[in-house]
Amino acid sequence: MQLNSLGTPLILSLMLFFFGGTFLLSLTIGRKRENADNYMTAGNQVGFGISAASMTATWIWAASLYASATSGYTYGISGPIHYGLWGALMILFIYPFGRRIRSLAPEAHTLAEILHARHGRSSQLILAGSNVLGSLLSLTSNFIAGGALIAMLSPLSFSAGILMIATGVLLYTLWSGVRASILTDFIQVCAMLGAVVIIVPAVFFAAGGPEIFVSGAVNLTASQQDFFSSEAFFNQGAPYIAAVLAYAIGNQTIAQRLFAVREDKIKQTFVTATIGYGATVIGVGVMGVLALYLGIDPANGDTNNLIPQLASIYLGPVLLCVFFVMIIGSLASTADSDLAAMSSIVMTDIYGRNIAGEGDADPRKMLLIGRMTMIVASGAALFFASAQFNILELLVLVGAIWGALVFPVIASFYWSRVSNRAFTVSVLAALAAFFPVRFGWIALEGGVAVVTDILGVIGVGVIAGLMIFGFLGARAGIIGGVVVAAAVAPFAVGFLHLYPVLTASLLAYAVSMILCVALSFANDHHFDFDAIGRKTGSFDKVAS
Amino acid sequence: MSPTILTIYAMICPVVVAVVLFVLVRAFLGEWQKARAEGRTII
Repeated sequence: MQLNSLGTPLILSLMLFFFGGTFLLSLTIGRKRENADNYMTAGNQVGFGISAASMTATWIWAASLYASATSGYTYGISGPIHYGLWGALMILFIYPFGRRIRSLAPEAHTLAEILHARHGRSSQLILAGSNVLGSLLSLTSNFIAGGALIAMLSPLSFSAGILMIATGVLLYTLWSGVRASILTDFIQVCAMLGAVVIIVPAVFFAAGGPEIFVSGAVNLTASQQDFFSSEAFFNQGAPYIAAVLAYAIGNQTIAQRLFAVREDKIKQTFVTATIGYGATVIGVGVMGVLALYLGIDPANGDTNNLIPQLASIYLGPVLLCVFFVMIIGSLASTADSDLAAMSSIVMTDIYGRNIAGEGDADPRKMLLIGRMTMIVASGAALFFASAQFNILELLVLVGAIWGALVFPVIASFYWSRVSNRAFTVSVLAALAAFFPVRFGWIALEGGVAVVTDILGVIGVGVIAGLMIFGFLGARAGIIGGVVVAAAVAPFAVGFLHLYPVLTASLLAYAVSMILCVALSFANDHHFDFDAIGRKTGSFDKVAS
Repeated sequence: MSPTILTIYAMICPVVVAVVLFVLVRAFLGEWQKARAEGRTII
């Protein structure tokens, strides 16, 4: 099939238009003397429209668009749902925890800062370290997606592509931090959502419209034609539920928007972002289903090429430009959030709460540190992107670290008996259980398989219990978790170990919960939650 | 599965996205106008 492409001058013009526009927009909010707190939280008073747009834009990244299409291509018509629906619902499920976190620490800058106030340095640094690693990998992944797209649609090289993307994102984020990130997210989400509204129907009808589903049905297996495919659920949906809950809780980019939005607009923001994310990602994922019906083989065997391929086959030059802006918008909005997140962590958790010490942090020095962090992080991400590391494998690892953190983090915000020892030991033990299973260092057979299956069932109960707990409270959460685990057990024991990726994630939840609960019951000291509000908060007020 | 249902499945998401986009733009414009009236930046 004929692949359309965009020439070098057109690609350069589009990049100039996109990044030039976002840079000019960021200038409208630029201040000669930035405020360190606002650089990290945008003043905690951002309205619904910008916050919801920013939450949506941050949660949608280039990899999620590609992965949803891959899921559609691999698992058929239920594939995009098993990617997009669960990812969307996780935004909704963390909303009650977000409200609790804001009520405990209204002026905090990072989740790790709250853990510092709650437990101390080791817990803080576990979360902060995993956040920096996660954001760096996410940044790298977005650069790679941009570089690959530019290389596919133009004569420009991959290296030139990643350099342009990195420079463009850094240009508008460097001076105003999260304020610029959040404001430009609005424009980027408009580009992304607007493109989905136009491009998905355009590709659908250009490829043949409803007739595709008749003529192409022979290309699908029975499982791929099934809306309720168990294969899609166990291979894509279930591991994703476990991973995304962890991402939502552990990810500083989401926490940063939680601290930025006006407290009375948190619910609206999360609900709108849930719908926006779900519809966008499932909508783009349907393009993978279309590719399956059309019998298209992904270029170079890489399913990440499916969306660009469909676009370049079925879209003319104008819509191809719109498509290009959609992907650039998705990756730039997440990349600027990653830069803002990393700078906030280094400013707050490394310098503000540890190196400078209580009350001695210099806001001007913090800003310099934040900006230097962005520059260094961009350089590191460019290096990793050039080296073509397997970023998605590394991101799975970060997801596992966050999976081990979910229960201890949430319990720490609600249960006064959780201690620093309970937190740290439970997280490290959960990671020790995760790695051998995830990487196949131990064979899941015989007695080991029975143990991992039972722990996996407990892990399912923990995830269900946490979701119910967020909305209905502790009693309902515990009962719900036990009921779900009991209901799943007869089917899962003897079966779960056949899915090692899923088993490993569930083990992390189960082990961290068991140890955290056991060690907390052994602790008689009750923490005063009011202390968190006193220990977190403004750096600028203290300095002035 | 019938082509009609599959077509609805393929087309429903762009419609929902359009509605979300409308909600976001309307809220943004309201906040922008309010910020202008109060003489401050929107963020």
